[in-house]
Amino acid sequence: MNGIVNILRFNPKTDEKPYYQKYNYEYKEGMTVLDILNYIYEEVDSSLSYSYSCRNGYCGICAVTVDGTPVLSCKKLASPKMIIEPLKSIRVIKDLVIDREEYEKRLPKLRLFLERRYKAKIQPEKINMANFEKFKVASRCVECLACVSICPVYAKNQHLFLGPMGYVLEARHLYDQRDNLNRDILLNSEGIEICTGCGLCSEVCTHKVDPAQIIKDIKEKFIKQ
Amino acid sequence: MLYRYQTDILVVGGGGAGLMAAYESTKYNSKVSLVNKGKILKTGATIMAPGAISAVDNRWKVKGDSKELLIKDTIRGGNYLNDQELVKLLAYKSPDLVLELEYIGAIFQRDRSGEKYMLRIGGGHSYPRCLYLEDRTGREMTRAMMGELRKRNVTLHENIMITRIIVKDNKVVGASGLCLETLEPVLFECKSVILATGGAGSVYENTDNSNDLTGDGYALALNAGVSLRDMEFVQFYPLGFLFPPSLKGILAGMLYYSHLYNSKSERFMKKYDSKRLELSTRDVVSRAIIQEIRKGNGTPLGGVYLDMTYNEPGFIKKMTPGLYETYMNIGINPEKDMLEVAPTVHFLMGGLDINKKWETTLPGLFGAGEVCGGMHGGNRLSQNALAEIIVSGSVAGKSAAEYAKDNKITYLKPSETKREEELINNLLSNKVGEKPCEIRNKLKKTMTEDAGVYRTHKSLYKALKYIKLLQEEPIRISSDTKYMNREILEAIENKNILITSKSIILAAIERKESRGAHFREDYPNTDNKKYLFNILVNKNGEKLSLNRRKVNLKILKPET
Repeated sequence: MNGIVNILRFNPKTDEKPYYQKYNYEYKEGMTVLDILNYIYEEVDSSLSYSYSCRNGYCGICAVTVDGTPVLSCKKLASPKMIIEPLKSIRVIKDLVIDREEYEKRLPKLRLFLERRYKAKIQPEKINMANFEKFKVASRCVECLACVSICPVYAKNQHLFLGPMGYVLEARHLYDQRDNLNRDILLNSEGIEICTGCGLCSEVCTHKVDPAQIIKDIKEKFIKQ
Repeated sequence: MLYRYQTDILVVGGGGAGLMAAYESTKYNSKVSLVNKGKILKTGATIMAPGAISAVDNRWKVKGDSKELLIKDTIRGGNYLNDQELVKLLAYKSPDLVLELEYIGAIFQRDRSGEKYMLRIGGGHSYPRCLYLEDRTGREMTRAMMGELRKRNVTLHENIMITRIIVKDNKVVGASGLCLETLEPVLFECKSVILATGGAGSVYENTDNSNDLTGDGYALALNAGVSLRDMEFVQFYPLGFLFPPSLKGILAGMLYYSHLYNSKSERFMKKYDSKRLELSTRDVVSRAIIQEIRKGNGTPLGGVYLDMTYNEPGFIKKMTPGLYETYMNIGINPEKDMLEVAPTVHFLMGGLDINKKWETTLPGLFGAGEVCGGMHGGNRLSQNALAEIIVSGSVAGKSAAEYAKDNKITYLKPSETKREEELINNLLSNKVGEKPCEIRNKLKKTMTEDAGVYRTHKSLYKALKYIKLLQEEPIRISSDTKYMNREILEAIENKNILITSKSIILAAIERKESRGAHFREDYPNTDNKKYLFNILVNKNGEKLSLNRRKVNLKILKPET
């Protein structure tokens, strides 16, 4: 057993506070963090709670914090010594499973659907290709919450600041020329102006969406002071 | 505590087919609720689908293509076991539904003009006729559907597993299940149920499916007295990763730019299809790989070598950026290194026996998506799964809503969930036996070895016997808490995987020929004289039994 991992564990029903538990495992080059979690669950301690579904980066549900950085556990390569914690800034349900609903509750008021005033006369309708490229990038987000968990503004001020993921989801509709809703008004209530542009969200984005750039673009183009 | 809900239509499953069915059924003055075992947009096969949607329409088709040709391609690909009426509906309905997806928010790739769709071709299709967006077509579809469900305030229940369809006086009156966070019982009273629970990749060791696809819908339907058809047909894709373990079975490459070698450095496809080599059909390549492994020519991890090094520098990165990133991540440079691969389960062609309204024989029970059988017959063409999702979802949604209009809610006693509570208490009290994950791993191994790419009378009976043993195996649950107890979920899923496996095996024993994705070593030829029928699996009491039904060849007949 040449690998050591410390996992931050917490069962809010029975534990007073979170604690680190150490596990040993056989480290092999090329293994992912998810491999280690699966090994611990199957062979050592089946009380460990964590999430995964697609195993290859599509679903985003397996995001955790490894050595301080939010990552997808299915994509992040394991190292012989690691600390694994849940994503930060969001309530823990148990161990590495977070309460995604706590964040998702913010989404309905963003009206994340196409609001059309008119139906196109000719189908398939003509798409503005410059906007479409931006629409595509924003749509790559898999809602893993890595950006939200690293965002220092969200950590300090989540009541006045939506966090990067929400802005990215809204951007899909801002870049959709078919949409007729005044989304700039929606975003005015979501604190986008207090984003400091630190860029941490873009560093950790698991699908290279570059939320910082999108936020900057939204501020310049859509939010007119 | 019991959670109790009432709705007109209950959709079970939050992948593409379930979302589409829920969306469609909101149009008919009825209350719609959707229940999903995990988080919606985080589970199911659709969000992983990198492919395209087959749709032929005068507004975008290429010269020479037609709906009739798509129908023919699909039936030929299905080796004439398809329900030809369903195939016709697929061809005729998918174009308008693609446009409807765009109306509610999706956009598919266009050329520079912004007006014309870019079209992809796929294995088995005569022409490019499939719409896509980047390598995440499925996610784009679900995003549009989910947006519309939010807009229409469809009630979404997440992290609830449905364990039983409740039937009274021979019709559906509700469904019961468990909240997976707390294992508390859940009871739905409803007029109709649409099952959209997807396939069952978890039956096999290697699969590209997400880990929640455990054949839940097949088990729910069988237990409610509904037949499954064509369960012997399981589609394998030849190239799945073998390492690291969490990536096992995930699609590892494309045959178009791959050479395959065994451990003796032979390009072995020469022996199996000297003309087409790696570009032979998926089932031929899968069988060749297994043959090589059996002959002792396999790699250390039990596969064969996938070689992409002969391609021009930069080619792999350009063609499959996502895969390239995965290779580099796990320490394989596709321009220098070989990768170990083996066949992996991609899709189950079989499923609920439904008619052209996507209605089962049980009044009030409908199906949508992969959980249904019939569309693809004995094998599925690429790009037809995403088309099936929108067509089946749309038709099932409408049919279920129309049915609900003519029926009333039946009030159910809270004690309807007693079975679920007993199940949990029994499981929690088991302290001696095997862990659920051990049982599952054993099952996967058996199914892969004895009821996978190659099947014989002997191997299938061996698997059947072993499965019976596993079904009786006492289960040990390590922790006795009801809060976030994943072993309980696995134990319940295992029941579904086991009954799905049994259905596959029984149907495979019955089909003493080779056809489509089903290959019998002891009967290697296709026999159109004797075997142009569908095999139906039914459950009577605890026993599974089989029936045969002749295929209706109204649209297309085999040439020989």
